[in-house]
Amino acid sequence: MNFSQLLKKRPRLILYALISILVIIVADSLGLNLYNLGQAWDNLGLLWPRIWPPDFSVVTERAAYSYSDCNWDADWMCSPAVHGLVETIEIAFLSTIFGMIIALPLSMMAAHNLAPVWLSIIMRQILAALRVLPSLVWALFLVILFGPGPLAGVLAMTFYTIGYLGKLQYETLEGVSRHPLEAARAMGLPRWQVARYFALPEASNALWSQMLFMFEYNIRHGSIIGLVGAGGIGWYLSNYLSVYSRYDRALAMILIIYLAVVVIDQISLSLRHRFMDSEVHAPRARWREIIPFFPKK
Amino acid sequence: MSEPILRISNAAIGFENSEPLLDSVNLELYPGEIIGIIGRSGLGKTSLLRTIAGLIPLLSGELEVSRGVGEIGYIPQRLGLITHQTVGYNVMMGALPKAPLWQTIFSLPGQEYRDQARSAIESVGLSEKVLEPISLLSGGQQRRVAIARSMVQQPTILLADECLGELDADTAKDIISLITNIVKEQGTAAIIVDHNPVRASTFCNRVLQIRGTRLEEVE
Repeated sequence: MNFSQLLKKRPRLILYALISILVIIVADSLGLNLYNLGQAWDNLGLLWPRIWPPDFSVVTERAAYSYSDCNWDADWMCSPAVHGLVETIEIAFLSTIFGMIIALPLSMMAAHNLAPVWLSIIMRQILAALRVLPSLVWALFLVILFGPGPLAGVLAMTFYTIGYLGKLQYETLEGVSRHPLEAARAMGLPRWQVARYFALPEASNALWSQMLFMFEYNIRHGSIIGLVGAGGIGWYLSNYLSVYSRYDRALAMILIIYLAVVVIDQISLSLRHRFMDSEVHAPRARWREIIPFFPKK
Repeated sequence: MSEPILRISNAAIGFENSEPLLDSVNLELYPGEIIGIIGRSGLGKTSLLRTIAGLIPLLSGELEVSRGVGEIGYIPQRLGLITHQTVGYNVMMGALPKAPLWQTIFSLPGQEYRDQARSAIESVGLSEKVLEPISLLSGGQQRRVAIARSMVQQPTILLADECLGELDADTAKDIISLITNIVKEQGTAAIIVDHNPVRASTFCNRVLQIRGTRLEEVE
């Protein structure tokens, strides 16, 4: 059997073989090999006594050092894990709110069905430019400008939120049915009224859902930006890993971050489901029902 | 006879870069007049209304109509209601063209317009449904909401695209009487697209039929 016959008979076999060869070539060019993996295993063996068991004093004991004041009497409230986590959630909350407020008008101007073409092109470029850098890189720049701390974190995540949420929003607005918009245009309403009173309410469920998703995303990324000094739980984690080499505490922090992210993911998911379910059963803005203290109609 | 509020002369209607759906269209519409447009699907009835509403450009010919703020009321085939919002909110949208601009920046138009919306909702018989979302209403009720929105808007010309389609005879009769009331009470002129020529001839002053690419008057 020659090669062309083999190719005809077993095309998938050839494909798998080619992919395998490519993987080996690329791994070799990056210097990945089994020797390095084995060495990592040896290193883990050396480090393991310093990693395990995790030291949960990060939740119970007051932080010995902190870049921001903690005035609570209870020690656990000022522990690295709780103080850091609360600050991460605060950074995520502020950056999501600021990002949403700025992104919404920008996305209305970026939507082809709501704005003139020249304006939507400019706005899309602005949103794309904000999205080019991940929040970690924004944080690196802003820590240099404003110094380490939550201000750099809030600004970094706000910039990224504007770019990311703005894109989600203008795509949603472009998906709004053309019929209400045409009824509004035939009335002779200005563009901003068409967007404000017709497109926004029609897209409201999706927009609220996206904001919740962004909040959840910002909490996850809020843990990372702390690694470059932009506040939050990542700042403590970074110190345990690099400055103090307290891997047992770092592991405890990682487990706490994981737990917090899982809980927040679940809360966010169930809230977003309420918005999405309402698309099918009773399509109307549901935020009045979700915010417990908001007066019911 | 008074001056026409809409005059279309020797016009071609359709989409750019394709054959016109309608050509040599000549049409005059007078205040207080109802014109019915009938014809098979896909012949250009909706395109004619959208052209009059200024949503698609005229391919050639002349179209004289005043398109000031609030002068044209358009009820699209799918009604153009905001499904995530309530009956009250949708009817209030008819007041937007009349309300002062500053009043609408942060909130819906003021009390005067809210009262107009309330009385329009009452006259279409939906007082009990003011806070209901549109999606929970029946097809007939949704059409009433679209008509109430036009009542608040008080347009010079009302364009309604198949607003009687898929309705039972009684509901269609109710909707027709609401439209004829708007025309009588507000002096509005209306162009109604309908599939049913017999029904159209009962409430329209003139009925025009699309045959091929021509718009011809039905005797």
